[in-house]
Amino acid sequence: MKSETIVHLIKDWRVALLIVLVAGSLIGIYLTPPNPANGLEGNLQFGLDLQGGSWLQMEFQSVVVAYSTDKPVGDLIENLQKSLEADVIQIDENHLEIRKGVSRADLEPLFAASDAKIVGYQEGVSSFTADEVKRILNDKVNALGMQDARINLLTPTGSEYPQYVRIELAGVDMATAQEIVGKQGMFEIRIQTTGNETEHVLYGDQITSVGVPQRSPETQAWGVGFTLSDAGAQAFRDAALRYGAVDNPNAHNLVMLLDNKTVYSAPLSGDLAAGLRSAPVRSLSASTGTGDAGLEDAMTLEIHLRAGALPVKVNVVGSGSVPAALGEHFKTTVAIAGLLALLTVGVVVYYRYREPSIVIPMLAINLSEIIILLGIARFIQQLDLASIAGLIAVIGTGIDQLVIITDEVLHEGRVPSPNLYMKRYGRAFGIIAIAAATVIIAMLPLALMDLSTLRGFAIITILGTMIGILVTRPAYGKVIMEILSK
Amino acid sequence: MEFARYDINKYSPRQMVALPLVLLLLAGIVLGYTTLTTGLPLKPGIDFAGGTAVTAFTSDSRETIEATFSGYPLLSVGEGIGGGKYIQFGPMDDARYQSLVALINEKYPDAKVDQIGETFGKTLQGQAFLALLFSFIGMSVVVVIAFRNLVPAGAVVLSAFADIAVTAAIMQIIGIPLSLGTTAALLMLIGYSVDSDILLTTRLLKRKGKLDEKLAGAFRTGIIMTTTTLAAIAAMWVVSTAGQVQIISEIASVLLIGLFVDLMNTWMLNAGILKEYILRGGKK
Repeated sequence: MKSETIVHLIKDWRVALLIVLVAGSLIGIYLTPPNPANGLEGNLQFGLDLQGGSWLQMEFQSVVVAYSTDKPVGDLIENLQKSLEADVIQIDENHLEIRKGVSRADLEPLFAASDAKIVGYQEGVSSFTADEVKRILNDKVNALGMQDARINLLTPTGSEYPQYVRIELAGVDMATAQEIVGKQGMFEIRIQTTGNETEHVLYGDQITSVGVPQRSPETQAWGVGFTLSDAGAQAFRDAALRYGAVDNPNAHNLVMLLDNKTVYSAPLSGDLAAGLRSAPVRSLSASTGTGDAGLEDAMTLEIHLRAGALPVKVNVVGSGSVPAALGEHFKTTVAIAGLLALLTVGVVVYYRYREPSIVIPMLAINLSEIIILLGIARFIQQLDLASIAGLIAVIGTGIDQLVIITDEVLHEGRVPSPNLYMKRYGRAFGIIAIAAATVIIAMLPLALMDLSTLRGFAIITILGTMIGILVTRPAYGKVIMEILSK
Repeated sequence: MEFARYDINKYSPRQMVALPLVLLLLAGIVLGYTTLTTGLPLKPGIDFAGGTAVTAFTSDSRETIEATFSGYPLLSVGEGIGGGKYIQFGPMDDARYQSLVALINEKYPDAKVDQIGETFGKTLQGQAFLALLFSFIGMSVVVVIAFRNLVPAGAVVLSAFADIAVTAAIMQIIGIPLSLGTTAALLMLIGYSVDSDILLTTRLLKRKGKLDEKLAGAFRTGIIMTTTTLAAIAAMWVVSTAGQVQIISEIASVLLIGLFVDLMNTWMLNAGILKEYILRGGKK
């Protein structure tokens, strides 16, 4: 090829776009930020199965029920809580979250007993609760200084409520992962005696339940209710009496500590002091103030009161781990598979066309497609084994479509005039566009489904098909035209 | 190449569609029989039935491994090169699972272990079924819109359907279970299958010229397309099977079967229907 042909080619926007994208992708993978320690891998993100680590998928033991009733909903909630021995929370006007894995059939009689009806039933939790779970898990993971943790809430297609949470921890073995998820902090309540001195009152194991943030109707202040066991309530009363908190609340703050860090400190309220004088009190509420700041503090306090325990029970429904060495082995294997795929494809097209000036651009275009795909994937998709399978599938479809273009324009073995060329190219492009549309549509459900671990496969396939149709096929059409008309 | 020797113009439409239709019928019988006896058209793998899968590299023989895990619901032991083993267990209760994990950690500390609960497997099954259904409907809609002509569009959809059904029946016969990976492969097959069908339909209906020549030309291009794809997938299959990369190996084997099935369905079933349609003067 003459140098003017090359200049002419680069000036074409299709070819220019391709070159810019390939360069951009290489920069994205290797230079932003530079990551020489990673060698060829650069900034690509790998999934657990290629980098080693563990995953746990847990199902919320909770259901969301849509109800209708003429009676006050407070009674219904109270009745449910009593008979189910589980927390029941009103999510909105007509939905309750029942934090127990209970079947609809078991719930029907309970609702009927409170003159209420079940209108809808779905397993899962409200998005509010789901976010809280995510926050708690995040806190735990961050507290341990884990950099590479992914926590995702999963909602099955056809449901409105998150039903699973999946946690992925890179470089951690299964036993450690389970420990992290199950680990609870040490919660303690102490009472101020004199000056800055405090005395132990009770530990978190005496807290039997923790409510969600609620606003007091009188003061408008946010607060979190919690319940103590009988022994805990007794210990609480004894301490309040012994250190004089009942007589002079303001001099004797109650201090809550999580892992020996103060997370809340406030005096007894007048009502509570009076109540404690006569008998132990089991239901307490910690007030955090008014407005948005009050709500935020209440939400944090709720998590602290639970000492890292999740508000909803979870069951592990799936788990897995990959040792780093095996991940490394997989990485090598898939790299070989990819290269070999590219190579065999090259051999096959050479066998068919016997013309380096067609085969070399074909392979170069295919390779550039992979590079652009990786360049985009670096930002949106971690590469796991399934997405690599998608990548190799893209090599296959990519070559397919280049063959369609080549055969279409080379029709009857004659090199066409530019006009005829464009007409034929347009026809080939029509075929490719329909084929691409069907691949994208066929993969779309998989890409949108939360539960599937094959999202990566679908996303990479769709992305590859789109890059093909928008960037690399048009560029190939132009390149082949220049070569044929030389 | 063997396939290139098939002279696509030698046969009448009736002869062309006979074999694919008989195979489709047989596939229907296989899948229907399995559905009647097990409740599912295909034997579900661990993803959908629940269970535990272990990938380990060890010089232990299959017999040693079977003896080691004899106290657990062992399903199968697969072997790759370089001592790679893929060991599958059926569902078990939590206590049993914990003891299994302890045993694996002791014997094969560098193993990859994945476990899926039985009910969660059911959920995944339902989701996979939805994905297949939506994909197929979506594909049909695109094809109908693209051709705006019921007979050619119907032929494409029928041949895609036959691809999936026959591939699934072959999977059932040779014992490839339905898993997340193989479901994805079946979906991918929808895409691949339509590729060559559209090429065929466009060439035959939109180009001018003699039917025989157009058909032969489309066939040449179609064969080279499918062969290149086959080459890429075969490379993927060889390397991933040898290297014990189970999920890629599963995807690749289903795609390999599917592409061969697609060759038949495109160039016999779909081409036969189109030829008949054109000969009857359906073409404008």
